[in-house]
Amino acid sequence: MNGDRDIAIVGVHATRQQRKSGRTLVSMWRESILGALDDAGIPIEEVDGYISYMFPAGNGMGWDDGAIAEQFGRPMAFTAQTSGAKAVLLAGSVIRAGLAKVVIIPAAGAQSLAGDMATYTRPTFEFTEWTGSMTPAQYGIMARRHMHDYGTTIEQMADIALNSHLNAAVNPQAVRYGQEPQTRETILNGRMIADPLTQPMCSIVNDGASCIVVTSAERAKDCRHDPVWVIGGACETHGNSYFEAPSLRMLGTRDLMIDGFRRAGVRHDDVDIVMCYDHFAHGPIVQFETLGFCEPGEGGDYVPQAIRPDGVHPSSMDGGNMAYSHNMIPYNFKQIEVVKQMRNVVEDLCPGWREGVHTYDRSICRKVRDPKLSVGCGPLTDARHAFTILAKD
Amino acid sequence: MTDFAQVPLPRPTALSQPFWDAANEGRLILQRCGACGVYRWTPQILCTACLSEEFSWEEVSGRGTLYSYTIVHRAPLAAFETPYVLATVELEEGPLMLTQIVESAHERLAVDAPVEVAFTRANEAINLYTFRLS
Repeated sequence: MNGDRDIAIVGVHATRQQRKSGRTLVSMWRESILGALDDAGIPIEEVDGYISYMFPAGNGMGWDDGAIAEQFGRPMAFTAQTSGAKAVLLAGSVIRAGLAKVVIIPAAGAQSLAGDMATYTRPTFEFTEWTGSMTPAQYGIMARRHMHDYGTTIEQMADIALNSHLNAAVNPQAVRYGQEPQTRETILNGRMIADPLTQPMCSIVNDGASCIVVTSAERAKDCRHDPVWVIGGACETHGNSYFEAPSLRMLGTRDLMIDGFRRAGVRHDDVDIVMCYDHFAHGPIVQFETLGFCEPGEGGDYVPQAIRPDGVHPSSMDGGNMAYSHNMIPYNFKQIEVVKQMRNVVEDLCPGWREGVHTYDRSICRKVRDPKLSVGCGPLTDARHAFTILAKD
Repeated sequence: MTDFAQVPLPRPTALSQPFWDAANEGRLILQRCGACGVYRWTPQILCTACLSEEFSWEEVSGRGTLYSYTIVHRAPLAAFETPYVLATVELEEGPLMLTQIVESAHERLAVDAPVEVAFTRANEAINLYTFRLS
């Protein structure tokens, strides 16, 4: 994984992402796995590795590794609990070590039945629950500190959110597709949730599942699509989100993140797509700084332009957490969008999208021109960081 | 202003009971490592700097600065009457603390402003470590 092209993402699938789907976690989980394996052209009998958070909680106790093996009716060579970029990096290491040959990474969430606000970020914890802490408030605290330290403006953050909303407006798969169009003004004047964050600057809450299939270069030869190589990345766990006081400590991990690029032999300037983790409008600004695409404090000026589909490092082309999907564990989506962009299978409103023909007119198009080298983030928040570097031949 | 009698109140554990007992007397205490001397928050069995098992509870100044804050307009539960101020306070002794800012005009709030603990009683057993602008 130090620039080598020996591990690949060969299959991806996302179910329909929607609010109050009425579907069970197990049903969406199943569809995502079968869909991703079909995309790869690998029969389910070959799956011998499983990496996922302990969702869905089928028996109320969570699906631990024993329950997973029972469900598949045979032994699993390797299981672990994580998701997104970190799961892809782990799968690569496991396959390279010979511990498994085909690893699936499903992620299913059904959180919108619980209401309009995510509940899992409000732990029953004696030092947070009484304060009225909840997700947007935690990140509102971080956004304000970034504004104070670096002069980041509310307009810059609104433009981050606008990029996600404009992309969702041309992605028929996005939860917010077909809803009222957003502008910088509607975002700034949106319903205030936890200032400075208005509702359009926050993640949405919905149901859905996704799955990624990772295997070796040798097995990838016989798969349905060209491989997307996992050539590098980095991860770090920094603390316990939602239990501890929010701060901008993630910038402290900069050196470790930048080292991930060095190990892979990749220069930041050579990267096309940077699918960052747009959980809140300030997120991509801090993440670009943390990953080393710009210096701390430069993100406010740099990122809003960079992440547009025609920018130097496009992000959130699917609409991201703010407008495509936040199904509680949306990390896989960042990998999946990179794969779809690099395969040139991007559904938008361009008449020829099925044939891979795009107009690059933003009013109907969300395709990035010919990406060859991409970064897929997530999680990438205050406390947990991971990103992959993905490449195509 | 939040009616703290109506919110989900802390259920002290064996580890945190001394903190809540002191709070009930209007004193803010933190764990301090017996080996390296570092203060920590939230309560932990082991030192988060050196993993030592040795610690004492020590009364701290109750003073700090407003690391950052948000004015919450959409509450997770109805008992939290909006708007209210959720904040990270940086204590003089080092740790960051999540809390509510009370008794302070919102227009006077500013990052790095000096703050001090201003306990708010929820019931006979629980006295909450809210803060206010100094």
